[in-house]
Amino acid sequence: MDKSPQLPEFELLFVILNYGLGSKVVKLAKQHGVTGGTIFLGRGTIKNRFLELLDLTEIRKEIVITVAVKDTIYKALEVINKELKLNKKDHGIAFTTSVSNLLGARCYKDSYSKESRGVENTMYKLICVIVDRGKATSVIETASKAGSSGGTIINARGSGIHETSKLFTMDIEPEKELVLLLSEEHLSDLIVSAVREQVEIDKPGNGIIFVLNVNSAYGLYPQNK
Amino acid sequence: MAVLVEKFKEVLFAVLPITVIVLILNYSIIPIETSLIFRFIIGALLIILGLSIFLFGVDLGIAPIGHLMGTALSKTKNIWILALLGLILGFFISIAEPDLHIIAGQIELVTSGLVSKLSIIIIVSLGIAIMLALGLIRIIKDIPLYKILIILYTVIFILALFTSPEFLAISFDASGATTGALTVPFILALAIGVSSLKKDSQASEKDSFGLVALVSTGPIISVMIMSILFKTDKISGVIEYNNDYSTSIIGPFIHKLPTIAMEVFFALLPLLVIFLLFNIFCKVDKKSLRKILKGLFYTFMGLVLFLIGVNAGFMDLGRIIGNNVASLDNKSLIIIIGFVLGLVTILAEPAVHVLTHQIEDITSGYVKRPIVISALSIGVGFAIALSMLRIIIPEIQLWHFLLPGYIIAICMTFFVPPLFVGIAFDSGGVASGPMTVTFILTFAQGVAESIKAADVLIDGFGMIALVALTPLITLQIVGYIFKIKSVKGGIESDG
Repeated sequence: MDKSPQLPEFELLFVILNYGLGSKVVKLAKQHGVTGGTIFLGRGTIKNRFLELLDLTEIRKEIVITVAVKDTIYKALEVINKELKLNKKDHGIAFTTSVSNLLGARCYKDSYSKESRGVENTMYKLICVIVDRGKATSVIETASKAGSSGGTIINARGSGIHETSKLFTMDIEPEKELVLLLSEEHLSDLIVSAVREQVEIDKPGNGIIFVLNVNSAYGLYPQNK
Repeated sequence: MAVLVEKFKEVLFAVLPITVIVLILNYSIIPIETSLIFRFIIGALLIILGLSIFLFGVDLGIAPIGHLMGTALSKTKNIWILALLGLILGFFISIAEPDLHIIAGQIELVTSGLVSKLSIIIIVSLGIAIMLALGLIRIIKDIPLYKILIILYTVIFILALFTSPEFLAISFDASGATTGALTVPFILALAIGVSSLKKDSQASEKDSFGLVALVSTGPIISVMIMSILFKTDKISGVIEYNNDYSTSIIGPFIHKLPTIAMEVFFALLPLLVIFLLFNIFCKVDKKSLRKILKGLFYTFMGLVLFLIGVNAGFMDLGRIIGNNVASLDNKSLIIIIGFVLGLVTILAEPAVHVLTHQIEDITSGYVKRPIVISALSIGVGFAIALSMLRIIIPEIQLWHFLLPGYIIAICMTFFVPPLFVGIAFDSGGVASGPMTVTFILTFAQGVAESIKAADVLIDGFGMIALVALTPLITLQIVGYIFKIKSVKGGIESDG
């Protein structure tokens, strides 16, 4: 283990909830030290005989993702769990996963890539880029030039530390785009640095990039160039 | 069961305010007969039930049909085919709209049969069809919405110069009436389907709105042109209102059932036929097909229950409240009550729920329902208050409100974010649905009947025009606030 003590360890928190609770989670997380959060919409299914008969089996969900130092995430998660009673049935689910690299969050400006733990070396990396609405296509273009074979855009909303305005009592959460780029490990650094330069991620307020380890991937083919 | 509870809660909060306000009025200033109050409560219950079922139906049936067709339409590479399909779609959907038949009947009556009902229906439907095709082309060709709106409204202003005040009111009303509870969800879904294939997500988002706005200018222009061509500038006939209402509580509900069921059936028929034809060319898988058909059935059931509730429970009551309020000595009270009724009536409007949900889905929750609904509701409140003012003071003409209103609304499009321009102009068409048209319109007619200086016909027409106008302004104000508030703070003081 080559873990150096001064480098913080990051975790990614995922919370899946019924529609309307996403903003509350971000608010709670922000109150407990997390700098921001991103929310996107999903559709969940319901298991219920009666409703299946009526074909009313879809329910709107909100998925919240947020990245922070491990301790902060766990503290926030505990509060979220308590406030939203996640341990009860049908109240939503939450899970965390470790992040291998985080760029763009202001308070962790100088953190760099942490080598993956353990002997197992991952073959693929998932690069997640969160930018303002409208910038995602250019992110994918840049990534493709750097060797990525494609990308997926998810429409989202969210707020960082720079976006704290309110309309009456409601927080305004500007629209974002979450870009998912799956790439081979040796290409990931290249892609990250290209995207980093293009969206000027090191300037505050331009978005964040984080990288997750992927243990196995299918459907990816190396580009024949 | 969470889905049912959630929807029920949403609808309950939409219908409760108007129920409470009417009951408060009953126990304070305007005592109403008990039989009417009972009918009102039964009506409110039917509306809650009907609206819930209807909204499920839209989610399951109408919206998916719109999406499917939208995506299929945008795949046709040839713009002329797109325009042609748009024309056909628009024509058949609007020709079946029950509200259009009502307003066409009224026009035939007031022009003493000079213009036949059938020709009005065809002319208005043509107007809608042309605008739908134009709107679809706009989305594909990336023409900014505000530019088209400016051109269209300039045309409307020029035509308005040659139109008599009565027909000015009628043409704006026709626009409000034709964008009804079925047309709006379908057109919204169609626009989203067409624009969802765009690569640039920002453009796709703002182009998802604005199609309803363009479509609702169609009837205005076509009715104005018709009135100029036919030289029907004088209104001669009188609309006979049936003033006696039944004292039976259940009777009116049963009495209305067959007519309303027929109307809703014929309004849904073109959608069903078009969808089945579409299904021949682009096969939908069996499970989705079953779901969509089920959705259409829910839509039918829900809308029938809703309309019976409104027509049998609310309509007579609206006129009685109007009569009684107008006979009070304090005239400013009329305006205040009008404002409050406008505020709460719009909450129960079916298309409002559809629109606000679509907005949330498209913007991933950035523009939240409560904000849009409160802006709409304040807008409609003002619209009704202004209409009351117009009834009380006969010197005020409709265009005294319409002209400055539309000038403000058009000017605002220059500095409001395009997304909100689309939302605002769409909600103008959305606000004038069955709830407003029946309840508020009869309320206004009731007021006009009791005030000697007022002319029931002229003052009754034109109110829907105002209801369609004020949300344009209030929602664009909200959009402007969003624009200011969304600026990132604290970047300069980077530490």
